[in-house]
Amino acid sequence: MKRKQFIKNAALTAASSIVMPYILPSGRLFAATGSRKANHVVFCLFAGGVRNLESMQKSEGNMMRNTLNGTEPVSADIAPGIHQLSPLTNNPLQNSGTLFKEFRYSSGPTGHYNGHTTAITGKYSDESIQLKQPPKYPTIFEYYRKHTSPTTSALNAWWISNALGPYPYLNYSMYDGYGAPYGANMIQPASIFNASAAAELGNPLTLTQSDKSKCDMMRDFMNGQFKIPQAAASSGIVNTPADAEHLQTWLNTMIYQVTHSATQDPWGTGIMTGDMANIYFGIEVMKEFKPELMVINMTDIDIGHFDFTKYVNAIGLADYALYKLWDAIQTTPGMANDTVLIVVPEHGRNQQANSLVDAYGRYALDHNNDQMSREIFCLMAGKGVKQGQVISQIQGESVDVVPTIANVLGFDNEIPFGILDGRVLTEAFV
Amino acid sequence: MKSITTFPLFRISGFPNWILALSISLLVLQTSCNKEKRYIYEVQQQELYQSAAQKQNLKTTDQFISIAYSHLFGASITNTELTKYNIALQSLGDKSTMQDMIVKSMINRSGVQLVSNTAMRADIPTFVEETYLRFYNRKPNEFERWKMKDLIQKNTDVTPQMIYYSMMTSDEYPYY
Repeated sequence: MKRKQFIKNAALTAASSIVMPYILPSGRLFAATGSRKANHVVFCLFAGGVRNLESMQKSEGNMMRNTLNGTEPVSADIAPGIHQLSPLTNNPLQNSGTLFKEFRYSSGPTGHYNGHTTAITGKYSDESIQLKQPPKYPTIFEYYRKHTSPTTSALNAWWISNALGPYPYLNYSMYDGYGAPYGANMIQPASIFNASAAAELGNPLTLTQSDKSKCDMMRDFMNGQFKIPQAAASSGIVNTPADAEHLQTWLNTMIYQVTHSATQDPWGTGIMTGDMANIYFGIEVMKEFKPELMVINMTDIDIGHFDFTKYVNAIGLADYALYKLWDAIQTTPGMANDTVLIVVPEHGRNQQANSLVDAYGRYALDHNNDQMSREIFCLMAGKGVKQGQVISQIQGESVDVVPTIANVLGFDNEIPFGILDGRVLTEAFV
Repeated sequence: MKSITTFPLFRISGFPNWILALSISLLVLQTSCNKEKRYIYEVQQQELYQSAAQKQNLKTTDQFISIAYSHLFGASITNTELTKYNIALQSLGDKSTMQDMIVKSMINRSGVQLVSNTAMRADIPTFVEETYLRFYNRKPNEFERWKMKDLIQKNTDVTPQMIYYSMMTSDEYPYY
């Protein structure tokens, strides 16, 4: 080998040995601002209003057999109304992490949107929340995208909602210095990935690469002639052109799958509730984009306002979907062994039943700020989390989730002092 | 090709002054007679913009969808379709991407009023003029006239459909 070539090769090898360790599985070139416990967080709002009585305390049997240890049978009187799917595991999720059995949603109205907002912003909201506008305080997505260095793409942060109404507004706040530029990509899969929407969106104009280049060229010229008025500029989340194309390609793929019935019963359970579908499509997001931060919710449990047995049934099905999510994390390259999963209901339900009786003679439950409607649980599992730990005393609150996520992803020290109400749940970590 | 966008306007119909005076007199003289005001929904033609700089407001979701539909099909969108597209837009945080998907979907449906490629190339200046009026509700300025003509002439594979798509997904289109 010639001397010059030898020197060149040696230099390249040396450079590679310096650079390569910083190319992380998530695709980041450099490590984040602070020390990370894991490179991905999936936060599942096990929402709809779940009482600890039916979840942690198993008053109707162990309805969460994929999450909690124990084989307590379903109460005999409601068993005919329960869709009992075989557990997906012999090693429930609690063994892979730390379970706070007496977590709290301590303040603010026990409403779904309040509960979601509190969990996503880390701030209790005692005042009435405006349902048709973004939250007052920054969301975890904005903290993540603003305070992670180097800045991350919006495709790294996802809010996956199983309902419309006020929920799409949770991907960024109105807080000064934060807002849409740091928001998450939001999707409500049920409204896009269905036959009706697919009929409207499923046969798009397709452009060859050459056609696309020509369109881009013309659009660039047109855009050069128009100055977007600042006062009226769109306030929504914006992806880079490359990311937007990636997103659109994925959406079209999913719509194609929907039109070809590939998503009707993908788990072969014979049942696909709204919660299960939301988790299914959340998993698809995860597999495609491997987001560093993904928040996803389930809300079918709220049937508890009208039918107690269906409420208990929904807890069991949500538990099934939750384990599917965990299983997908473990088998998704780039996320496996590098993800912390956090599971928290947004609030509980009242101790006192309402007057509605179901087919099995059970009374339904509302959630109106009583003590039991503030009693929830929190499960954390995954990389760096203490395994098999159960914390049975009252410990931890809903507002602690945001600082904990920030700590896992290494930017908790970057968040301006005094905004957040909660603390890092350090007791959960090794 | 129609080039003027129309918006519904809620207004009280006008009368000649002498009828108005007579009506007031009668109202005073015959107080027992309660004549109701007549409200008529009318369609008002919107004036053309003199330049793109006059556009300062973002179209609402409903406006964007229904205007896009009428620009392409020359007809009003049905409530059912408007609702479907509206829900699709609500369901994705990246509105621009969903708007792009909606335009791609609409523009590929049968019934779109498309100028043929042959007609476009037979009279490019007229095509450019009419297309700007149709989608931007304004005339192109001299530079735009020249540049678009040049682009179309030099790129023989550019079709009217591609030009419509580019305009409807440009920065100007969501504004009025």
